[in-house]
Amino acid sequence: MNCEFLKTFFTDPMKLVGEWFVILPALVLLLSTAAAVVVRNLIHAALLLTLSFIALGITFIALGAEFVGFVQLLVYVGAVAMIIVFAILLTRPDQLTKSGSALSGIGPAGGAAIGFALLAALLTFVFSSPMARKPLPASVSAPVAAIGEALMGDYVVVLIVIGVLLTAALVGAAVIAMEDKP
Amino acid sequence: MMALLDRAPVELLHWFLGVLGSFGVPAWILAIISALIIIGTIIGVFLGLFALTSVMERKILARVQNRYGPNRVGPFGLFQPVADGIKMITKEDLVPRTADWVVHLLAPVVMMVPALMVLAILPYGRGMVPAEFDAGILYFFAVGAGTEVAVFMAGWASNNKYSVLGAMRAIAQMISYELPLVISAIVAAMIAGSLSPSAIVAAQSGFAFGFLPQWFAFTPWGFAAAFIFYICALAESNRSPFDLPEGESELVAGHLTEYSGFKYATFFMAEYVGMFAICGMFVTLFLGGWQAPLPFLDIVPSWCWFFGKACFVAFTMIWVRATVPRLRIDHLLAFAWKFLLPMSFAAFLSAAAWHYAGRGPLAWLTSLAIVGIPYLVLGTAFTNRFAVSRRTYQFSE
Repeated sequence: MNCEFLKTFFTDPMKLVGEWFVILPALVLLLSTAAAVVVRNLIHAALLLTLSFIALGITFIALGAEFVGFVQLLVYVGAVAMIIVFAILLTRPDQLTKSGSALSGIGPAGGAAIGFALLAALLTFVFSSPMARKPLPASVSAPVAAIGEALMGDYVVVLIVIGVLLTAALVGAAVIAMEDKP
Repeated sequence: MMALLDRAPVELLHWFLGVLGSFGVPAWILAIISALIIIGTIIGVFLGLFALTSVMERKILARVQNRYGPNRVGPFGLFQPVADGIKMITKEDLVPRTADWVVHLLAPVVMMVPALMVLAILPYGRGMVPAEFDAGILYFFAVGAGTEVAVFMAGWASNNKYSVLGAMRAIAQMISYELPLVISAIVAAMIAGSLSPSAIVAAQSGFAFGFLPQWFAFTPWGFAAAFIFYICALAESNRSPFDLPEGESELVAGHLTEYSGFKYATFFMAEYVGMFAICGMFVTLFLGGWQAPLPFLDIVPSWCWFFGKACFVAFTMIWVRATVPRLRIDHLLAFAWKFLLPMSFAAFLSAAAWHYAGRGPLAWLTSLAIVGIPYLVLGTAFTNRFAVSRRTYQFSE
């Protein structure tokens, strides 16, 4: 009953269904993200964004990064999407319509310009980094044990710094939410 | 003979595929047929278990409360699920006029899919894992996160204040209890040295002194982690005493208020299948999976042990439901964040101490101390905090 089919289906899709298993979730990802931006209804936008998180997770799994894909699902679908939804539900509708944001006067063209500027900056950084110049590895399999050793070995300082940052954020949130004792 | 029975499901599948193969069916079609058979079997078994549990739960609750329970349909009321199923299918499907009907329709589907998907990684018996993942435990919790989205969709799309309140409560509860749930599961993975469920089961094999099973639940850290996991499993599957998202005295039925007919039945089914899945996970992580509790009981097929243990855990959940009263929402969240979360960290440290102290008598002492002292301190603090004082009633002027 130890079915090789399912495993290959998820980890090595090239063998079975060609490139479609990678292309299909990527298409869903692009379409749902675009729809999330366009849709007027905020809750629908949040749900479409959740769909794009799921599609992104499946894309990672299809590309062989099983661990990253599962963590993407666990963190983004389980926590981040729910926090977005909570934030929408706790905001009153009248606060949503009259937005006092400094960016509200720039119009669609200004928004697009800012978006493309950000994209250009990101792409410049990505392609100028030493990671981009390294040749692609032959195999993309990343067992959990290897990821764990890398996190606890080479990247332990980064891991601890992120841990401290998240703890500080948690404490800050608790302080804001705390009732003032009279 | 017994060894054959143990491998019967696998052998049957191989025999069937062999017969198909002899007719010249190509290998890739065989792979798809094999996957479909496995999926069909698992869904069939768990829906059968759901039907059985729905009637057994009512029977057990009735027994605890000193009444008969369902006893009209068939012998001992065993055909009650059939009658319920016919009733659910023939009922009118009501959708409120102001509801967001697309999301309202999708919510039961989104609820059912993760409940069935998590069944893929449970080791049901010796060599019987439908999908062997390197990070199987992570898959279980990652896919299970989809349930929260479904609960929110159901609550919001109904356009009913009780539904939204129930959904918000349910999500707050699920997110809070997911932390200690995952941490206590990680404890078992840490000692086994793997996130794969079959490796965790393999790490619990063997018997101390020839008869004591070396399950994780029988160590200090394992007992603490198992207890935390069990409580969080009750909360994750929205079961009593944590069923206040659907507290009928306050919220009608929470996010299920506006659902009727087969959509309601789908939610109900997903809840029970999810409960069985998490019972199966509990058995895998802490109760030795499919392994027999005593050496000479090894002759019973391994999958019988798995389902027997899972049914026993499900039975204790029903028992708890019949015994313990419902919590209040602030007590519920305080319990998760102020007691279960620190205790799960204690179990985590205790397991680390167990590993580094060499798993001998010294390890027993240190890990017991690391779990026991926080338990006593936190437990006393909690009992004093919620101590029942004499109630005085005030009448409003």
